Amino acid sequence: MDKVSFSVPSNTVFGILGPNGSGKTTLLGIVMDILKVSGGSYKWAGNESTDKMRKHIGTLLETPNFYHYLSGEDNLKIAAKIKGKGENDIERVLQTVNLFERRKSKFNSYSLGMKQRLAIASTLLGDPDILVFDEPTNGLDPAGIAEIRDLIKDLNRQGKTIIMASHILDEVEKVCTHVAIIQKGVLKTVGSVSDVLNTSGTNAVLIELSATDNKQLTNTLQQMAGLESISEVDQGIEIICPENITAEQINKFCFDNGIILSKLNVKRKSLETRFLEITGKQSDR
Amino acid sequence: MLNLFKIEWLKIKTYRTFWVLFLGFLVFYPVAFYLTAYKYMEQMTSSKSLEEQVLKTLVDPPFVFPKVWQSAGWMGGLFFIIIGMLFILLITNEVQYRTHRQNIIDGWSRMDFLKAKFSMLIFFVGVGTLLVFIMGLVVGKVFSDPGTDMFTNIHMVGYFALMAALYLMLAFLVAILIKRTGLSIIIYFAIVCIVDNVLWLVFTLKDSQAGYFMPLEVVDSLLVNPFKPKLMEKRTVADYTLVIATLIYISAYAYIIIRYFKKTDLKT
Repeated sequence: MDKVSFSVPSNTVFGILGPNGSGKTTLLGIVMDILKVSGGSYKWAGNESTDKMRKHIGTLLETPNFYHYLSGEDNLKIAAKIKGKGENDIERVLQTVNLFERRKSKFNSYSLGMKQRLAIASTLLGDPDILVFDEPTNGLDPAGIAEIRDLIKDLNRQGKTIIMASHILDEVEKVCTHVAIIQKGVLKTVGSVSDVLNTSGTNAVLIELSATDNKQLTNTLQQMAGLESISEVDQGIEIICPENITAEQINKFCFDNGIILSKLNVKRKSLETRFLEITGKQSDR
Repeated sequence: MLNLFKIEWLKIKTYRTFWVLFLGFLVFYPVAFYLTAYKYMEQMTSSKSLEEQVLKTLVDPPFVFPKVWQSAGWMGGLFFIIIGMLFILLITNEVQYRTHRQNIIDGWSRMDFLKAKFSMLIFFVGVGTLLVFIMGLVVGKVFSDPGTDMFTNIHMVGYFALMAALYLMLAFLVAILIKRTGLSIIIYFAIVCIVDNVLWLVFTLKDSQAGYFMPLEVVDSLLVNPFKPKLMEKRTVADYTLVIATLIYISAYAYIIIRYFKKTDLKT
């Protein structure tokens, strides 16, 4: 991590976004005292971090970590004891993630999705005000993903602050109110989702197009002034351009240069566009 | 500390491997000790050969008071290596399944994690010492003449506790530094069975007392093999010196463990 610095407003769903290997989990590992840093500091709720404070933060970091030979319920008993919370909350959290029926089954008999649910249940023990989720929908089926997203939104409505790391842009866009984008350990941008979407000096839009000969189309578009980027994708070409360049102008330019477009689609400005603008199209690995 | 131990107990109370190894120690040591005593005494009383009669005069009877305390401690030490292996397993399991991370994430300090494991160490040493005491008492009572003084040499039980503590501290250190279960156990056994003995032998052959200060020999020398004739004993270092040296080793291992674990990244 290189001089990453930001603060998370309370009562928000704060997304930490970045390509694989960008440092999201490292960042969360540092604030959880799992990883040691050479410099820098962090505070929780305005106070210097202490071990005790972590007892009041529900955290799921990377993968669910439980004793494989113990039942889901017994694993939660250990977590509850460490957090200094009573065991009477265990039934509620297991019900919340739909795991109550399988509470007596051993952890190693759980599916990946069930393990993830148990990890989320564990974070809810003692009803903490701050929750930290690292890739919370990992391994879940589509229904499970929707449930967890609803749960996160619901927790936020109850006034909880949620910090969530993800590389799934759609997830962040659907759930988060704020976002920080990290790449190779460097903070690229941070703010509310709408601010981040609109601070691209040029207010760029994403346009998808294709023609019979996409190579020729690319060469032609490179002659057109004002386009920010042109990239070949699976079945055509994507361009990012300022809002003032319209689809009509592009269509006309292509037609005038002897190309008839078979597809022309102006996508609404999404976090994905913004993300790709910021991080580029190359994965970090 | 008691609270931390209760949490450790929750972790292992239904762990089959724990019970297999723990009960293995609790059963095999007493059975082996009693049977050895029984066979030895039987042979000694029935033997008429000159050889055995000579041996008898060279070696104090190992299974009657007061020497039985030394024998109980010495043999307890042999079987306690199982507990050393179990202790390594309980620590490296946490690393392998990353539950040590989760314990910290859930709000333990790194010292809490170490203290919890240390509470297990005390538990194992306590149980082992109690068992050595019981076996010394039972075997001594069975094979000694009535009226023999029972409590001479009972400090050997204390030496066992010291030995158990040192062996487990070494296991603790190896597990924390190596992290991998298999490799940790191999290294532990290598130190216990080979390295320490070779070092001791090298020094002793050179007629140096330094061999008695090797990391484990320091406490092994307090509880020597009861079948070894006294004439072969070359140690001149006093017991209390070795006790102090053992305590220094235990403190040094604890210092390294704490220093390392407090600063390290918790990865697998």
